[in-house]
Amino acid sequence: MAFIKKQQSSTETEDERKALRDFEGLCEELNHADSQVRRWAVRDLVEMPNASSVLVERLEHENNASVRTGILNALAQLRDTISLNGLIECLRSEDAALRNESIEILKELPDEVGAIIETLLKDSDSDVRIFAVNILESLRHENVEQWLIGVIEKDSHVNVCSTALDLLSEVGSEQAIPAIKKLKARFPDEPYVCFSADLALKRIEEGSQ
Amino acid sequence: MKHILVIDDAATVRLYHRNILETAGYSVDEAINGIEALEKALVTSYDLYIVDVNMPKLDGYGFLKEFRRQEDVLQSPAIMVTTEAGNQDKILGYASGANLYMTKPTKPNQLLSYVRLLLGEVA
Repeated sequence: MAFIKKQQSSTETEDERKALRDFEGLCEELNHADSQVRRWAVRDLVEMPNASSVLVERLEHENNASVRTGILNALAQLRDTISLNGLIECLRSEDAALRNESIEILKELPDEVGAIIETLLKDSDSDVRIFAVNILESLRHENVEQWLIGVIEKDSHVNVCSTALDLLSEVGSEQAIPAIKKLKARFPDEPYVCFSADLALKRIEEGSQ
Repeated sequence: MKHILVIDDAATVRLYHRNILETAGYSVDEAINGIEALEKALVTSYDLYIVDVNMPKLDGYGFLKEFRRQEDVLQSPAIMVTTEAGNQDKILGYASGANLYMTKPTKPNQLLSYVRLLLGEVA
């Protein structure tokens, strides 16, 4: 006997979704026990004014990976101050997956990140400074090299400098050479810094020939 | 020859660890994130894993948790390497299945002593 799959469930879900499109209804659904309902609420809230703050608030408690990804993408789409601050706050999270997802999202926002990156690179938490350098990895912004040079010239934390140096090895030009040499002299007892600096200098010099 | 998988999104870090390990006589493979590491670990029996925490797509905790769930795969030891030195990170690392935890920047002698310890090569 042939098995005929019931087709109506997706239509019902769609109808239910359309019935509750007002802001208050979506905010309620954002806290629903069913992750699929929450996912739809995130998707529909993006169209509403003032959605950023409720999405940021939900992000703090959301433990479903796909809903969380939906919220992060929604914040990237909204791109207002609250959304951006929400994404940046993820860099302080104990959750490595959330941190890494927010880094990937922030890499796609060059103008918004460009406006606040210098503040992030001076954050009191060295891990946040490392994540800020990670954001620069594929940020399409003309100042990336200058920011990285600034980091290796001024930051006192070896891991922040190492992360910036790794990146300079890929994107650095001849103007980075003096700062790389100074960094190597500043951390002569750190084998990784010396290795990474030599590699960066070699790559830059080979690239300029 | 013992076979080690180095998992890190930073090419320079992978090369640095590869140089140290190959000079000491180990064979080394690389993976750029937890997903690639998982794909390699499911088809190749490595003797040891050196795992970074912060990586795109799948971080080090995620890789180890998923890898430790694979009952049909040789469960070799893992060293977690990260910039974070807080207790919470170490707890997370051990809870995910790490055997030892190292804070960056790694020193060659320290890395090799941890590797030899986990491979049972310490006299």
